[in-house]
Formats: sequence, C-alpha cells, structure tokens
Amino acid sequence: MKRISSTWWASSAFLLTTVGAASAQWVNYPTAGIPRAPDNKPDMAAPAPKTADGKPNLSGVWEARDQTYFFDLAAGLKPEDVVSTPWAAAIQKQREARDHVDDPLASCLPQGVPRVNTNGIFPFKIVQTPTLVVILYEQLGLFRQVFMDGRKVDANPNPSWLGYSTGRWDGDTLVVDTSGFNDKTWLDTTKGRPASEELHVQERFRRTSFGNMEVRATIDDPKAFAKPWTTTIQKMHLLLNTDILEFNCNENEKDLQHRVIR
Amino acid sequence: MKAPASALLFASALLFTAAAHAQWTNYPTPDIPRTPDGKMNLSAPAPKTPDGKPDFSGVWLTRGGYTVNMAKDLKPGELAFQPWAETLYQHRLGNEGKEDPQAYCVLSGVPREDVVPYPFKILNTKGEIVILYEALHSYRQIFMDGRALPRNANPAWMGYSVGHWEGDTLVVQSAGFVENNWLDNSGHMGTESLRLTERFHRPDFGHIDLQLTIDDPKAYKKPWSVNLQLLADDTELIEYVCDENEKDLKHLVGK
Repeated sequence: MKRISSTWWASSAFLLTTVGAASAQWVNYPTAGIPRAPDNKPDMAAPAPKTADGKPNLSGVWEARDQTYFFDLAAGLKPEDVVSTPWAAAIQKQREARDHVDDPLASCLPQGVPRVNTNGIFPFKIVQTPTLVVILYEQLGLFRQVFMDGRKVDANPNPSWLGYSTGRWDGDTLVVDTSGFNDKTWLDTTKGRPASEELHVQERFRRTSFGNMEVRATIDDPKAFAKPWTTTIQKMHLLLNTDILEFNCNENEKDLQHRVIR
Repeated sequence: MKAPASALLFASALLFTAAAHAQWTNYPTPDIPRTPDGKMNLSAPAPKTPDGKPDFSGVWLTRGGYTVNMAKDLKPGELAFQPWAETLYQHRLGNEGKEDPQAYCVLSGVPREDVVPYPFKILNTKGEIVILYEALHSYRQIFMDGRALPRNANPAWMGYSVGHWEGDTLVVQSAGFVENNWLDNSGHMGTESLRLTERFHRPDFGHIDLQLTIDDPKAYKKPWSVNLQLLADDTELIEYVCDENEKDLKHLVGK
C-alpha cells in the first residue's frame, strides 16, 4: 500500500470538513438526563437508558472513537477474511493509482453505508421513535431513515448512495438492513474498497452503557467480495453537552482545484 | 410584487432530477385515516401526541407556488425594503438568479425550505421536533425543551430554532442566520438580523396552516408575513443529491 500522498490528503474532503466554528450555538447546552456518579461527574458506565416500550434508547449525539474504520473498514481482520473479487481488486488498484482523487466524498457526494458512521471527527445524532429511527449526520448534513414498521425493501429500488434501511430489535441490538445502493460508493477511504448495486449491509448497533455503543457491519456484496465479511467492533462514544453543527460542503469551496494526481 | 417568469428557471432546474421508481414512495403510509376508496382522508381530525398536543408528524408539501416569490400575495407597501436591499433585489432579478446559492448546492436555508416544491417530513420526539427536507438532503432541529435562542450564534443557513405552544399552535422562533440568505428564487433576502417566526396550525389531518413572519430590520423597514398551506402527502422522501452529475451551472449565465 502506497503511503497516502500529501496531495490527496490535503485535497480530499477532509479539509472541506474542518470548517465547523468553535462558537456555534447549542454546543454548550447541557444534555438532559445524564446519570451521575457520586462525585457528580457523568457516569458513562451507567446502564443504557430504555424507551417507554422497554427497548434500548439509542438517542443521543454519538461519534466514532477514531477514524480507524473510515480509513480501513476491515481493520483488525485477517486478509483471508476479506477477499475481493477481481472486479473489486481492479477498482481498488485504479483508485490508488489515481491518488484517491475520485473519492466521491471530496466532491460532496454521500459517503455511503456503513462509511457514514465511521469518520470519528464528525458526530451524528440518533433520534429514536418506535416506528422510525432517524440518524442525523453532521458531515455533509445527511440523514438516514430506518423504518421499524416491518416494511420490506423492493427487489429493484432506485439505486441510491445511502440505500433503503429497515430495522428490527434482536434482543438489545438494533439490527439495520440496508440495500438499494448505487455502485459508486467507497466503503472506506485509504483502501478505496468498492461496492456494487448488489451490496447489502447489515449494521448492528448495541448501546452497551450510557456512554458507549458498539457497531458492527456485515458487508455482503457477491460482485465485490468472494464471501460476506463482518467488521471488528467499532466503538462509538456519547458526546455530552453538545450537538451536531451545520455542515455546508459546497460553501466557499477552495479545495477541488488542488485535487490532482501527483 | 412580481418576479419575472424567467425566475422559474432559476436553481429549480437543478432540482428536477428525482427518479420515478424510488423506494417507499408507493408504500402506504401507516396511521393515515383513509376514505373507503383508500385515499387519505384529508378532513379527518388532526392527530394528537400522547401529551395531548397536536402531532405534526408526517410528510408535507407546500402549496400555492411561493417558490419563486414568497411575497407574491402581499399588497403594495406591506413589504418595504431598506434602500440597499431594494437595490440588491433588483440586481438579483436582473441577474436571473445567477448568484443564487442554491444553484451551487449550498443549503436552501430557512425559511426557503418552507416554499421549495419538495416534500419534507416532520418528526415529533421528546424535547425536539426534527424536520427532514428532501431538497438538498438536509434537516433542521427545533428544540422544545425551553432553551433560549442564541444571542450571538455562529451564522447558519438553517438558523437555530426553538418552539413553544400557544394553544394548538406550534410557534417556532429562529435566529442566527447567515448574512446572505435567499428566501425565494427571486432573491428576497435575509440577513444576520433576521428573526423568523413560524406558526404551525393543523386544522385537520390533511392540512397545516403555516404563517411566516419575516422580521429583518436590516433588510426591511417593517416585518412582513406570508400565509402558506401545507398539504399532507401519502408518500416518502427520496434521496436528493445536488452534486451528482451536475450539468446546469454552465447555463446559469444571468443577463
């Protein structure tokens, strides 16, 4: 793997995405309902809260612990766990040869699933209701709807960047199945793994305590991978006394001109 | 106040890329009262939340063609520009929307999201109301937990919104807007001094009466109001990606 060139680094979406202002509103507004330890500090290890119907309540502002899975979705897995098809391997090679300049995220295009959860410098907010879970992402200002009302995805939906998501509870784990993707997505950043319209992602969200959530994603895409594979546990942490900020990828854009192949 | 017909062509050209076969759009929305023929019963009673407040949840579409000129129903004198704002408005009309930020995929902003011809979804939750906008794939949070509006917020296209109840009316007040907001295609402006009040009232299942009051002393000599009607929509939002396969900007040449 070639080292990431500074050209790519400087010119990719990352620069576009570090424009959040420090003095934005709501960022210092106290979060309601924080369990407290005896010393009055937030007790992040307290039990995860429940909704009125007894399900785990995932609502809150969350952030991936770091960018590990944003760069390499297969981090921690053995090479034999993730076997690219020749089709996918050729695309990865081409993306690397072009210095990653084609990453859609750098053109303000949606990150796709599950990459959208993984960039640990931007929080996302889960808003949970019994029939619909909405995820508001700070980066690109995207949202996803996860329908909990038992509907099924059509066999042939209009291809989309974020797919169509349905959810159900498996014990205390929210299981989100998503399909109906386009074939333009990048599953991760450094590796540039592609996905096809056959991609089916299953995300498993489990809030292990008040302050912590674990996410695993299974990638099933027969066109891109010889067999389905599941990420190692992605750690997410709850952010207190803050909120997501407005993110405007296209405003005052100065970076794309620097996005060139070295 | 009349905007030229060509204003219709403004950024809207970017906005008609939606596909016909999107998922969910034909899925019957649960919890909708229906007439015997299966259609949405628009005149059924408005639903309530468990705490007895009107529930505005659902997919809504604005009516009446306010996209181009939000102030089209106002009588002469009701909208009084400050002199600089009048000059800028005429410039924008003359330029046929060439400088419209929405044409460059910058957020539509609030309250423009209330008049664009794209559905949006209102979601009631404890402590806040979330609105998901199909246009530009964006969202907005309205906090209902009693917090105050910011005094010196980082300027935002969507602003900062808090809501409270006045009887059955949801009153949303917003501030903290950017200086160069566009309220409609014709170029009515909002500045950092904009204070917006939106009054949502749901008289029956199928309708929301929405009154907007624009109070922006930097741009207008006095506040002005617009009365919109929103229609419940038995469909779903679809994915909107402004930056994909963009072919329009080269045609946006002004005069």
